[in-house]
Amino acid sequence: MLKTLIAFVIAVVAGAIVGSVIQTQFNLAALIELSVPISFDVRISTIIHDLIHFSPIFALLLAVVLLVALPIAALCSRKLGGTERWWFISAGFFGLLCCFVIVNYVAPMPTLIAATRSWEGMGAMALTGAFAGWIFDRLWHPLPRELAEPLI
Amino acid sequence: MKKLIFSLMLGALFHSAWASNEVKVEVVAEGLSFPWSLQQLPAEQGGWLVTERGGRLLHIADDGSVNAIPLQLPELFVTGQSGLFEVTLAPDFETSRELLLSYACGSLSANTTCLARASLSANAPYETTEVKQIFAAQPLRKGAAHYGGRMTWLPDGTLLLTLGDGFDYREQAQNLNNHLGKVVRLQRDGSVAADNPFPDKAAGYIFSYGHRNSQGIVYDPARDVIWQHEHGPKGGDEINRLQAGKNYGWPIASYGIDYTGAMVTPYQDLPGVIQPMYQWTPSLAPSDMALYKGDLFAQWQGDLLVSHLAGKRVQRLRLNEGTWQVEQTIEVDNKARIRAVEVARDGAVWLATDAAEGKILRLSPTGSESRR
Repeated sequence: MLKTLIAFVIAVVAGAIVGSVIQTQFNLAALIELSVPISFDVRISTIIHDLIHFSPIFALLLAVVLLVALPIAALCSRKLGGTERWWFISAGFFGLLCCFVIVNYVAPMPTLIAATRSWEGMGAMALTGAFAGWIFDRLWHPLPRELAEPLI
Repeated sequence: MKKLIFSLMLGALFHSAWASNEVKVEVVAEGLSFPWSLQQLPAEQGGWLVTERGGRLLHIADDGSVNAIPLQLPELFVTGQSGLFEVTLAPDFETSRELLLSYACGSLSANTTCLARASLSANAPYETTEVKQIFAAQPLRKGAAHYGGRMTWLPDGTLLLTLGDGFDYREQAQNLNNHLGKVVRLQRDGSVAADNPFPDKAAGYIFSYGHRNSQGIVYDPARDVIWQHEHGPKGGDEINRLQAGKNYGWPIASYGIDYTGAMVTPYQDLPGVIQPMYQWTPSLAPSDMALYKGDLFAQWQGDLLVSHLAGKRVQRLRLNEGTWQVEQTIEVDNKARIRAVEVARDGAVWLATDAAEGKILRLSPTGSESRR
């Protein structure tokens, strides 16, 4: 149980960090298109700002998604067969995709996360769910060759 | 600049006073569904016109009785933030009986801010005739957020109309080829004003750009200035001195961040962007603005009254050495969200609360005569 919990927490934190960095790039790209100068330093400070202010909210969304999606993935893997890892990756991706649609429908604003206004942005952000699903399974049920890998 | 604004805000905090016993609040009418704007009719004892976001135009008589005025707006679209917004009287209303109404038109997948003209009958029970859509902001957009919709007349008889960025289209506020996130200037028949700053862009209507969602605009005749305010995202609500052809920054420069905590822009100031004269962080969601001129509150002449939704208050701001400072804060009706503020000819201040059971309130000095 502890192993599952640790895998879950690490998956959520890792997914939230990657998702935060990705959405920052979409927001900055939109500004660059408007000829706003974005230097390397500005990009880094924006990433740090978003890691502090955006990633906790995204982590919350991701945690709720994974709490629902991962058990379904585990069940599917057991009942339908196939590679467990791909079930978890798919669950994270499609779970987050559904979450964006539902949140945008429920929230007062048309789109909660600006980066998901475009299909490319929504897809890229949903990939962070896939990444979180991969991390979870990688830690929960590592393959023999993964167990053999050195820690550092 | 940040330090200056911070110190001004700090100063404002210490100088503000919550609704003191100098202001008396009377309920004029209640049970209105999300009232959006207030407009006093010019005739003595003529009462007020009030819009409800759901699309009803109401007349409130001086005795507080409320009567609906039949109105069929072309393509009215009501959902979320959309619906009927403001009603204003043509400068020659007493002879022309002409009203202008801003509203959302279209459907959920293709809508925009529209302007219609209508004629109001001379006597009660009032009727509207010759209702015609005279302007539709371009392009149509999806969703139901950020329409702007406030209006003010300029001395030359042209009309300024605020337009929102449509929320999902924030970058378009910087694009001069459309009307998203702009203030437009029109003739009263909806045609473009002759000397707008960008005659070759977006049919020539644009007066200023880089706005997010502006719901307050007044012309100040004593100072010959246009004051405008707009909603920031999370923080960064602004009061601007509006000038033709200027860029007010959204979304490339802002004091606010996104609702999720993400940065909209790393810049609060950029070359070519006009800085706000006042900004609210955290946001109070300014919903309307009126310039005080009247006899009842003799000390308030030339002050701005700003109503707030999330902030659930009215603030009175005074221009002091070129900057606005909050002089007084007034809460009404158990901290109601306030949608509209208007100054009556007698100097009383009228408010509309933003609720399914909205109220029309009248503020006057304690000890002054009541309305009825």
